[in-house]
Parts: sequence; C-alpha cells; structure tokens
Amino acid sequence: MRLLVVEDDLLIARSLDNALTPLGNIVEAFTHCAEAGAALHQGGFDLVLLDLGLPDGDGLTLLEAMRERGDTTPVLILTARDGVEDRVRGLDLGADDYLAKPFSIAELEARVRALLRRSQQRSDNQLRLGPLCFDLASGRVTLDETPLELPRRELLLLEGLLSQTGDIAPREMLESRLFGFGEVGSNALEVYVSRLRKRLQGSGLRIRTFRGLGYRLEEERA
Amino acid sequence: MIEVDGSLKRRLAIWLLVTVSGLGTLLMIEAYLGAQRAAQRAYDSQLEAAALTIAESVQWQEGEPVLEIPAAALQILATRHQERVFYAVLDADGRRISANLVLDIAEDDQRHVAREPFWRDVTWRGEDWRLYGREYDSAGWETQDPVQIWVGHTMAGRRALAGELFERAVTRFLAMVLLAGLLMLLAMRVALTPMRRLRQLLRRRDADDMGPLDARVPEELRELAETLDTLFSRQRDSRDALLRFTADASHQLKTPLAGLQSTSELALAQDDPETWRSALVDVNEGAARTSRLASQLLSLARLRHVGGDGDMARLDLAAMLREVTLEWAGRDAAREHDLGLAELPAAPVAILGASWALRELLGNLIDNALSYTPAGSEITLGIEIDTRVATLYIEDDGPGVPADLLERLHHPFERGGRQDTQGSGLGLAVVDSIAKRHGAAWQVSNREPRGLRVTLRLTLSSPEER
Repeated sequence: MRLLVVEDDLLIARSLDNALTPLGNIVEAFTHCAEAGAALHQGGFDLVLLDLGLPDGDGLTLLEAMRERGDTTPVLILTARDGVEDRVRGLDLGADDYLAKPFSIAELEARVRALLRRSQQRSDNQLRLGPLCFDLASGRVTLDETPLELPRRELLLLEGLLSQTGDIAPREMLESRLFGFGEVGSNALEVYVSRLRKRLQGSGLRIRTFRGLGYRLEEERA
Repeated sequence: MIEVDGSLKRRLAIWLLVTVSGLGTLLMIEAYLGAQRAAQRAYDSQLEAAALTIAESVQWQEGEPVLEIPAAALQILATRHQERVFYAVLDADGRRISANLVLDIAEDDQRHVAREPFWRDVTWRGEDWRLYGREYDSAGWETQDPVQIWVGHTMAGRRALAGELFERAVTRFLAMVLLAGLLMLLAMRVALTPMRRLRQLLRRRDADDMGPLDARVPEELRELAETLDTLFSRQRDSRDALLRFTADASHQLKTPLAGLQSTSELALAQDDPETWRSALVDVNEGAARTSRLASQLLSLARLRHVGGDGDMARLDLAAMLREVTLEWAGRDAAREHDLGLAELPAAPVAILGASWALRELLGNLIDNALSYTPAGSEITLGIEIDTRVATLYIEDDGPGVPADLLERLHHPFERGGRQDTQGSGLGLAVVDSIAKRHGAAWQVSNREPRGLRVTLRLTLSSPEER
C-alpha cells in the first residue's frame, strides 16, 4: 500500500514512517501543503494521513480540494486540535477518520488497517477479514478458500459484522438487518451470534461481545 | 455589538419640540381669545361714551325731545378704519326721533333695554354690527319720559385691534421659544460634559489597565461608572485566575517533563541496552501521562475561562452515552476491559447541556475507570430515570477508593492515593467543572462488595424549554 503522510513535525513523521513501513506499506512524507498537493495530483495513493496545522496552510483546504476533484482516497486526519467542531468539520469535508494528537502507535495502526481494508473492499467488491472473504456480488462466503454455507440470517449477520471492518457493529444495526424493524426478543440476536461463533471456531477469528453496545468480529491476537 | 440608536441630543430636542408645540398651541388659543376680549372691551367703552354724549344733547321742546347729534359723538364712534356708524334715538313709544340708518331695532331688544343697558351683535346688509342700547331718563321741564339711545358700528376696528394684539403675542412667544432653544442647546452641551470626560478617561486607559476608575461623575452616571468598575474588577479577577492557572499548569507540566529529561539523560549515560529499554518504557509512559495532562489542562482552562452557556442545547443523553461508550469500547485502551452499557431507557432522555462538555465528562469518567481498574474489570455505564432527574452512572468492580479519600477526589491533582497509573489527577476536576456548569450534582461512592460508582444527576428538560 502506498501511503501519503502530510506532517510538519519531523519526529512524528519519522515515527509514522517507522510504524507503517514494517506493515508492508510505502510511506511518502511531505511537510508542506503545496508539495503534498502536487503529489496527490499524480495520484496512486491508497491512504492519506493529514495533519491540519501546516506551515503553508490548513490541511482541511487540501482535503476540500481533493474531494472537489472527485479524489476518493481515504483520509485520516491527525491533529492536536481536538475540539468537537474541528472534528465535525473535518468529517463533513469528507475525512474518513480522525485521530487526535497525541495518539498511541497501536491506535494509529488499527485505524490505518481499518481504512485500508475498507478502501480495498470498495475496489474489489469483497469484504475480507483474515481468512474470511465475503463476495458482495454473489453473496458467497469462503473461509480459508473453502466455501462456507450459511443460513440467511447468519449470512446477514456476518455481512453486518464485516461491513464494519474491525469496528464494533452496533446491536441496533444488526437487529434491524436481521429482523427488520419489528419487535425482537432481547436475546434473539445472541442466538445467531453464538451459532456463527461455533462456525468460526478455530479459524483465528472471534466475535467479541460488547455489553449493551454490539459485537465486533476480530482476529484473535496471538 | 454596539448599535447606535438615535442621539441623546435629538431625543431631547424632539421631546422639547413636542412640549413646546403643545404648550404653544394652548398659549396661542389663550392669546387669541385674550386679544378678542381686549378689543371688545376697548370699543364697547367707546360705544358707551358715544351713547352718553348723545344722551347729554337731548333737548325738550314742547314736551317733545329734540335732538341735534353732536359731532363729538360721531367722532367717538368712527374709528380710523373707515367704519360705518349708526345711531338712533327712540322715544318712549319706540318712535324714532333721530337716526342715520334704517336699521331696525327689534321690539324684544327695546323692551330689554328698558330694563338694563344692552349689547347686541347683528348682521345688516351683509355686514356685522355691534350695537349698544341704553335708556336714559331725560328730564325735560314738563315730561319725564325716557329715551332710548342706540349706537353702533361695524367691526373692522375691533378686528384690526384684536389682530394687532394677537400678532404681538405671537412675536413675543416665538422670540421666547428661540431663546429657550438656544439656551437648551447650551445646557445640553454643559450637561453632557461629564460623559465626554468619562469617554476621554476610558480612551486614555492602557489596554491592560484593570484598576478601578478614577473619575468625578454626576449622580446619573454613577451607576454606569460603577458597572464599568465591576466589569474591570471581574476582568482583573479572571485575568489573575488565568495567570494563576497558567502558572499551575506550567508547574504541573514541568514535573513529568523533568522526569522524562532525567530518565533519558541517565539512560544515555549508560551503555547497557537493558537499561535503555527500561528507561524507554518509563519515557513512553511519562510522555503519555504528560500529553494527557496537557489535554486535560486545556479542557479545564476552556471550562473555567470560556464563560457563557451559549452552547447549551437540548440533547438526548441516552444517544450521546451510547455513542461515546461505543467509541471508547472500540479503542485500544479498552481492549483488556469489559466496557459495556446497561439497558438504556427506550425513550430519548432529553436534557439541556453542552454537547462537547458532556462528551468530555463521559470520556474522563470512562478513562478514569479504564486507568484505575485492573485488566479484565467490568465497567458498566447506564441511565436511571426519575420523574424529573436523569441519573447517569458508571460503575466498575475494581478496587474502589479508601473512604477517607472520597471527599477529596474532585480536587485537581488528587489521585486517590494511586501513583501506579498514568493518571494526571485532573479527570475528576474536569468532571466537577462540567457538572457545575450544568447545575448537576455528582457523587463518588464505593460499591459492595467491591468497586466504585460515580453518579451524575441531571435535570430532565421539559419539551417547552428550548
């Protein structure tokens, strides 16, 4: 993956490089809006990590110009401004995620992974996580390249979980996906989750429950 | 924003104009009527004099009154306004002894005159006349019959006199108004001098001069000057507080930075990779703590020094709680904890609050729970609804806080006796500030058998509030 880092603090730029290159990415770093703008014009980036306060302008202007051009490259904003208004403005302008400085490298890696996965899915029309692959066009699921036959509701559940790519899928979202808007018993969803859990056993994937919030399909950490 | 709404001078002038024209109208009416009365009186007495002169020249010859109208009487009647005059002398039977015009005297009037002198306004041949009739007992030698004498003239003289008198009154009045207006302008200038003085005083002040005003002002401006003084003193207090806070904050930031510096310095002086490693772990933790401290100091500063409640709005506490908890549960920091939500009320929980501040508050409470409980602890957030109050709570099954420290937890930099975590001790101070801003009571208590529970009681907003 080719990543563009626009960051004027050299220490941060270097640690981003050090963190993301070992994950198999090519990182190109720029310190000024103008240079970054020129590089973006040439295209070919899979993700942009954008700082807002740059020496020659505001990163949000760069983002706005990108989106006006119709450039849909995912953008992760990194900034020390953590006011809610800044956050909302960035997301309104078409940023895909927002990380306030200071951040932990682990947090950054997780966000970058999720964004890359999401843009990957958009391009090849497949939802993937680890050994699991969900083909959106045919609705077929494969686990370790072997087809996995699933009943309709488990299929809907899996699609819902995968569509969040590593984020928590809110319970309300899954419920309306599986059962429509009708009244459902409180543990109806749990029944399907536990069935799906059994099928995924030993695959390196697990469904983690967040009490009262939802579920997350995640890779088990070694 | 300052919006200029008319001018004091113009407002005063308008009031003055209204008053003067109101009073002026009344005065003019009075002057007009007065002029009319004066002219009437003057000319009526002339008529009386003329009648008397005529009466004195009545002679009796053979029991019959004989009359030669004296020139003086006609002179008295005729004014310089080319008036037409009239006289008539009637005997006791109402026959005319002498008359210059055929103007008839009504019989009623003749009877009236017999009782008392009589004034009468009539119209004859298209002109207004004023007549005066009077009966005289003319004493002849043989008879003693009364004669009636009528005199009169047209009204031009009276009108001219009344007009002249009225005109003079108007001129006097206008002169007075003009003079009063000029004096008023002068008075306004003099009266507004203290305001000008105050303005100059304020202009001369230095931008950072927050001292009390030193000005001589009239009673009417005292309130304004005092308000300004209060404003200055509030600004002074707020600036002092800000300076104090900045000093505190800088001190608080220096401490962990000093730690970072000394740890890295010591490590650099060594050659042992193992020492480097342990130093790096310390540096990493110290940096995390410092940055958290910085962001909490910022929120505290924003809460304490950005006043006003313009950002208060009606919001759904349940939706916000769900959103914030969802965000935190997905974070890396929550990976080792069981962070969850209790069953929330089905209906929206409407309260009046500042969205960013309440998010900050929730974030601090969750952050605290994550930092001060061991891995694997269960942390639950929820809302309990009373009739008027929504109680937001967060509880964990961690070690809790010693009972004697509970009271002090909301003080800045108090960490409940725990030095083993990355906490800054500012989290609950932030919570305290936000709760105060929302007029909400909050409480920390230990749970049985273990764990801590923080509750925040927010008043429910009824639909008619904004």
